[in-house]
Amino acid sequence: MIYVIYALMAFSVFFAFAGVVGMLRMPDAFCRMQSSTNIATFGVLGVIIGGILYSVFFLNNSGFAIKLAALGVFYIVTNPISGHAIARAGYHHGVETAKMVCDKYGEDME
Amino acid sequence: MTKLLWFAICFAALALTLLFRVIKGPSVVDRAVAADSVDILTDMALIIYALYTGRSVYLDIALVTAILGFIGSVMVAKYLGGGMNE
Repeated sequence: MIYVIYALMAFSVFFAFAGVVGMLRMPDAFCRMQSSTNIATFGVLGVIIGGILYSVFFLNNSGFAIKLAALGVFYIVTNPISGHAIARAGYHHGVETAKMVCDKYGEDME
Repeated sequence: MTKLLWFAICFAALALTLLFRVIKGPSVVDRAVAADSVDILTDMALIIYALYTGRSVYLDIALVTAILGFIGSVMVAKYLGGGMNE
């Protein structure tokens, strides 16, 4: 069972690493936002599920599991809200884009 | 179970690497998103450290930090989009 937990956490570390590399290397602010979503979904889920399994099977502490489940639900619910708000505000603020091919939102606002 | 600490160290190193984007980022959106991601990565390190030590104080700290990061990014978005007075 401990190796399942290690595998989940390694999965999560891999996705967080991919998100960080994307945030450092992407050419554009919106591309970087798209890559930061990688951290907040799969980078969180592996640690949360692995932590629930660890606290149930090794710590024998159900309070840990409940707190971790609440934390995971909070992350999954609030990340799209803040991402949507920041993307919309950045578009209205006029963030520079590298190569914008299609802009349906700007066409709809006119 | 000291192998758990290595995952926490990995997350902390990733958060320190992402501070580069907070410092350099050309626009405000980059800085806000990178600060939110640094917040999430430190939360993951705190969760793994709480599992390692078996004390639930670090989980409470992680929960409070998550809530503050969400409120901070939404506030930055409100300020940036000019939605405060409209």
